[in-house]
Amino acid sequence: MKKIFLVLIVLGASFGAFSQGKFIAKNAYISFYSSTPMEDILGESNEAVTILDSSNGEIVFQALMTTFHFKRALMEEHFNENYMESTKFPKAKFKGTIEGFKKEMLIAPVANIKITGVLNVHGVDKTITVPGTIGMEGGKLVATSKFKVTPEDYGIAIPSLVRDKIGKEMEITVKASYLPYGQ
Amino acid sequence: MKRIQYIFIALFLLIFSGNTYSQDLDALLNAETKPTIDYATATFKASRIINGHSIEQMKKRQLDFRISHRFGPLNDGAYGLFGLDQSKIHFSLEYGVTDWLMLGAGRGSLNKTYDSFAKFRLLRQSSGAKWMPVSLSYFTSVELNTLKFQDPTRTNYFSSRLAFVHQLLIARKFNDKFSFQLSPTFIHRNLVKTELDMNDVYAMGFGARYKLSKRLSLNAEYYYNYNPNNKFQDTKYYNSASVGVDIETGGHVFQIMLTNSLGMREGSFIPQTTDDWFDKGIHLGFNISRVFSFQKDR
Repeated sequence: MKKIFLVLIVLGASFGAFSQGKFIAKNAYISFYSSTPMEDILGESNEAVTILDSSNGEIVFQALMTTFHFKRALMEEHFNENYMESTKFPKAKFKGTIEGFKKEMLIAPVANIKITGVLNVHGVDKTITVPGTIGMEGGKLVATSKFKVTPEDYGIAIPSLVRDKIGKEMEITVKASYLPYGQ
Repeated sequence: MKRIQYIFIALFLLIFSGNTYSQDLDALLNAETKPTIDYATATFKASRIINGHSIEQMKKRQLDFRISHRFGPLNDGAYGLFGLDQSKIHFSLEYGVTDWLMLGAGRGSLNKTYDSFAKFRLLRQSSGAKWMPVSLSYFTSVELNTLKFQDPTRTNYFSSRLAFVHQLLIARKFNDKFSFQLSPTFIHRNLVKTELDMNDVYAMGFGARYKLSKRLSLNAEYYYNYNPNNKFQDTKYYNSASVGVDIETGGHVFQIMLTNSLGMREGSFIPQTTDDWFDKGIHLGFNISRVFSFQKDR
C-alpha cells in the first residue's frame, strides 16, 4: 500500500517537475517607434512581463500602458489620454505559440523563429504572425522580435491634424531575457 | 495506517493541484505583473483653468511659452468693435525644474506688471497600489507693478509696488471627462489705491472642466471674493467668472474664453475685476500654450 502511494507521489512530483519547464522575464523591453519627417516618436517600457512554456512553446507577454515612457512628457500624456485610453484599457497582451517548437530551440544558439498568436491592444484582439529569434546568448535564454502594427487595426484613431506627425505604422521591438520560473 | 493514507492522498492532491494551477499562463502572468500606482494625469489640459492656475504643471525639463490676450469689454459697443479695439497682453515662460516644482516669470501690460511664481506639487491623486483622492499643489507668486507712482512728491518705496499671492490648489479628476478644483487664495498687496481698499484679500476659487471630445473641453471658473468691497469705495469690484474651451493640437493648447476680468494674474483678476457680466462687461480672450522639451533621455 505504502509503496503504491510512494510511486504516485514520485509520479506527481515528476509531473510537477515537467510542468516547471517555464521561463519568465519580469523586466522585458518593449518599444514602439514611428518616424515621420515632422517628428520621431519612441515609447519604451522596461517592465513588461513574459512567460515561456517549454513544454509546448507557448509564449505570453503583458505590459501596462502606463509603464511606457517618452522623451516628451506631453507625448506620454497624449499616449495615455488620447490614443491608448489607458484608464479603460490598462494592458496590452500577446498570447502565441512558437511555430514548429522543439525544446532544443531553447538551448541552441539564437535562431530565427516565427510566432503566431493574438495581440490585444486598446481592447481589440488581432491574430498576427511575427518574426523573432530565440536561443542561448551569453548563457541566458533570450528572445527578440521586431514587427509592425497599424494603430487603426486596433481602433486607435489618429486625427488628421496630427496625421503627418504620427507614422502609419508603428515598429514594435521586443527583447526579453528569461530565467527559469520560480527561481 | 489509515491516517498515513490520507496524508499521502492529501500530499498527492497538493502536488497535482499545484500543477494544474501553474498550467494557466494567463493566471501566472497576472500574478507576476506588479500592481502599480495609477496617478491621475491630465486633470486639466493646461496649467491654467482659464485665468487661474490649475493643478497641472510642466514636467521636468519641459518649457511652456504662454501668450494670453484679453480684449476690451463687450459693452464698448460698435464704436469700440465690442471690445476688440483694445487688448491687454500677458506672456510668460514657465519651466519644470523637477516633476514637482515649476518656476515661471511673466509680464502683463495691465498695470505694467512683472510676475514670478513657483508651483509645488504636494500630493498626486492616485489609485491602484496607493490611494489618494485628490491632487494638491501650492502656488505662490510675487507681482511687481511698474507703473509710475501716482504721487511723485510723496516718499515712494520699492516695496509699495509688490503684491504676494498664496494659493492651495485642490483638484480631483472624477472620471475621464470631469475634473473639479478648489483654490483657496490669500493675496497681500503692500500698497492699495485708497485707504478703503483692503491690503489682504481672501478668496475661494472654483474651477471645472468637462471633456467634450478627446481634444476639446469646456471649462468654467469662478473666484468668490470674501471682502471685495466696502460701501465707501467709488469703484465696485465683482467676482471673476469665466467660461471657455480648451482646444489641444499636439504641442499647443488654445484656450478661448469669455470673462469679466481684464487681468491675467491672480493679484489682478481676483481683487480687481471691475466689469459685470450682467452689464455686458464681458471680455473675449485667449491663452496660447506651446510646450518645448529639453529632455535628453529619460
